[in-house]
Amino acid sequence: MTFCCQGCRGAYLLIHEWGLEDYYALRDRLLASPTEPVESSKLGRRPRWDELDDSSLLGASALQAVGDGLVCSRLAIAGIHCGACVWLIERMAPLVPGWQDARVGMHDHSIEVTFDPARTKLSNIAEKLAGIGYQVSPWVEGVDSVCFRKENRSRLVQIAIAGFCAMNAMWIAIAIYAGEFSGMAASQMMLMRCAGVLLSIVTTVGPGRSFFRGAWASVRTRTPHMDLPIALGVGVGTISGGVSLVIGHADVYFDSVAMLVFLLLGGRWIQFRQQHRASDMVSLLTRLTPSFAVRLNDDGTNTKVPSDSLVVGERISVAAGGSVPVDGSLVAGSALLDRSLMTGESLPVGVEIGGSVEGGSLNLQSPIEMEVVATRAESRITKLMQLVQQASLKRTPIVQLADKIAGRFVVTLLGLALLTMVVWWQIDPMKAMSNSVALLIVACPCALALATPLAIAVAIGRAARRKLLIRSGETFERLATPGVVWFDKTGTLTSGRPVAGVDGLDDESLILCARLESQCRHPVASAIVDAAIRRGLSDDTSLHVADVCQIRGSGVRGLVDGHEIAIGNLAFVRSLVRDVDADQVEEVARVAKQGATPVVIAIDGFVKAVLAVGDDLRPSSFPAIIGLRNRGWIVGILSGDHPATVAAIAKRLGIKPEMSLGGLSPEDKLQRIESSKADYKAVVMVGDGVNDSAALAAADVGIAVQGGAEASLQAAPVFLSDSDLTKIVQLVDASRATVRLIRRNFRVSLCYNILAMSLAIFGVINPLIAAILMPISSLTILSLTLAAKPLGDSDQKAEVAR
Amino acid sequence: MSVLFVALPVALMLGAAAAIACVRCIKLGQFDDLQSPQVRMLIDERPVTDKSTKDA
Repeated sequence: MTFCCQGCRGAYLLIHEWGLEDYYALRDRLLASPTEPVESSKLGRRPRWDELDDSSLLGASALQAVGDGLVCSRLAIAGIHCGACVWLIERMAPLVPGWQDARVGMHDHSIEVTFDPARTKLSNIAEKLAGIGYQVSPWVEGVDSVCFRKENRSRLVQIAIAGFCAMNAMWIAIAIYAGEFSGMAASQMMLMRCAGVLLSIVTTVGPGRSFFRGAWASVRTRTPHMDLPIALGVGVGTISGGVSLVIGHADVYFDSVAMLVFLLLGGRWIQFRQQHRASDMVSLLTRLTPSFAVRLNDDGTNTKVPSDSLVVGERISVAAGGSVPVDGSLVAGSALLDRSLMTGESLPVGVEIGGSVEGGSLNLQSPIEMEVVATRAESRITKLMQLVQQASLKRTPIVQLADKIAGRFVVTLLGLALLTMVVWWQIDPMKAMSNSVALLIVACPCALALATPLAIAVAIGRAARRKLLIRSGETFERLATPGVVWFDKTGTLTSGRPVAGVDGLDDESLILCARLESQCRHPVASAIVDAAIRRGLSDDTSLHVADVCQIRGSGVRGLVDGHEIAIGNLAFVRSLVRDVDADQVEEVARVAKQGATPVVIAIDGFVKAVLAVGDDLRPSSFPAIIGLRNRGWIVGILSGDHPATVAAIAKRLGIKPEMSLGGLSPEDKLQRIESSKADYKAVVMVGDGVNDSAALAAADVGIAVQGGAEASLQAAPVFLSDSDLTKIVQLVDASRATVRLIRRNFRVSLCYNILAMSLAIFGVINPLIAAILMPISSLTILSLTLAAKPLGDSDQKAEVAR
Repeated sequence: MSVLFVALPVALMLGAAAAIACVRCIKLGQFDDLQSPQVRMLIDERPVTDKSTKDA
């Protein structure tokens, strides 16, 4: 059972106590499955709370005195999922002696704690929070979040002003129309018009400014943009309103102008928020925790220092399971490093004294001591991050569909306005001006401009519910036409962790092996232990283990419950048993050829089985690739792993040898992405490691996969927060559906526009008709958008493999 | 109906006052978090006596 939070776990226990289990049957039918549990081994660090008591390490979370002897600190908190979490934490605070108050901010996952430093410590509070399942860390203010806050506030202010003007303009307009039917004194009519025009001028020069800015930029750069026709309509409407007020007796469209600005700003804000919410969820996963290193001083003591302050020549120690902060060389201990995030190698690498240790790799086995050879700024991992920056700057933005349409629309519109003017000049010069002005106002494609951001916002929201976090609205359009998808191998197509195939072992032998291996810290050992657990065999601690002898790079042997067991490579086992059959030797060769590691198991002097331990394909890889291929996409592999391993995986997935490339450096991957942009309409990269980051940033659409490195998550506009690769196929489908929806919206909006425009051309339109027609067209399109279901709630899993 | 000449500006000014108040609230950050306040109002304030027992 997995729970999103402790509150939910408590609720689960209560529900069972009351005998209401049916709730879950109902819920599972209606909702997606709960989140996958976070693999603690992948995170690789144990929470250490005493850091929080050292004020020099707190950074932005430094304690602030708030009077009464109390202090206050703002920390980042992970694990907040729902309102229940806020309730739980805020209720818990008063129950801990000395902890005065807690305020949780769900929008940015922060917690503000107020406490009495004389009676409790921050580390104590952190420990209490960890006890109920929430991890706190010092706050790091991201540039993004500061920008977002400013932008969000300024957008809201604009909407508030536009809303005020639009609503008041509306009731004034109603009064005017009513007055036209039942008669109204000229002076009062004038007053109403003055007020209306004033409001529309306020809207245009205030909140409406952004459209003019966009339109001006679009004219200057000669790229079509939706803002252009909007600015045209709003501008002409306001100016003609002001002019007609002075010269009198012409139609005034002020209510339409104000309402237009208000609705458009609202629609754009919704898209902005949805996009930000997705990127927020990603940045929570990648919240840059300040990185610390344990420096070994000459006098034998050690100090915890920020990794940035390390200088060349210093000695540091890295705990087992810890991540190496900088590039260095090993001076004590022998290291087994998982470099998969940095290079894509699926198997851990052993490093001896004097060997080089790359920053960013994971120290698997035992504590090591190393000497710093490059500062953090010069380490390979930092260099890779710079590569990501450069790659993302080089990405060319696409002209979105709606903007393309808008460009053509403006040209047609101006042509028609000119034509109207010329033709009416011949018939009735008095009406030439007012008719062409009316045309420009009523033709404003507000419905389309509103529908596109909403269609994208709805699609992003639906995708988020399927654990696909999308941070860029362009994604849908880029994925709508098939191109090429490049997959990373280790950690993306495969699970990134060695898995043992134990079909050749019976339960009894497997228990014995797992018991012996549970004494070791080696990826192969944990693969065998995992295999036993998967088969439902519990670790039987009553079995006595003795004489365990581990030989690095060879294997392990020992006595378990009186049986002599040896697990290791062929040479190691051969030295311990009487003889090995020829077909078992053949089996070893066969496994090695498939790209897996052969592990020979001998019990009581006889070879029992040959296991293939390897990085296995994710179950979703095959259906995902079939699904993509059926939709016209070309699939390829870009991997940093050994070419033979890559070839073996590609063969199993049916990927052509010329499309599966192994042994690539991050720079090679980037190069490959850049070069395939010339050959394909859309280039998609799916990856998880630091070594994929630059390629993810450079691709038209980069998709990062769960469990990957922070760097890759930040580089990619799409994040798959579970390991189900078939979601990519669903995303492709949703993209096509979204683009189709935008096109359909355009057709409908065009119908309304043609109607309104022909009325204007023939001079039979008035502000009342415009005031009715424009909202109706917006409403039609809004309901069409909201009724459409890209990534709908139906079960699409079965459709993927079509 | 000459009351309109007074009523209309007054109504607009009242509305503007509300709009200005709203803008001030936005600038103070009251609309930054649209999720936790709706939950927080469900949390009961603890009685004053609670604090004294806790301190004891």
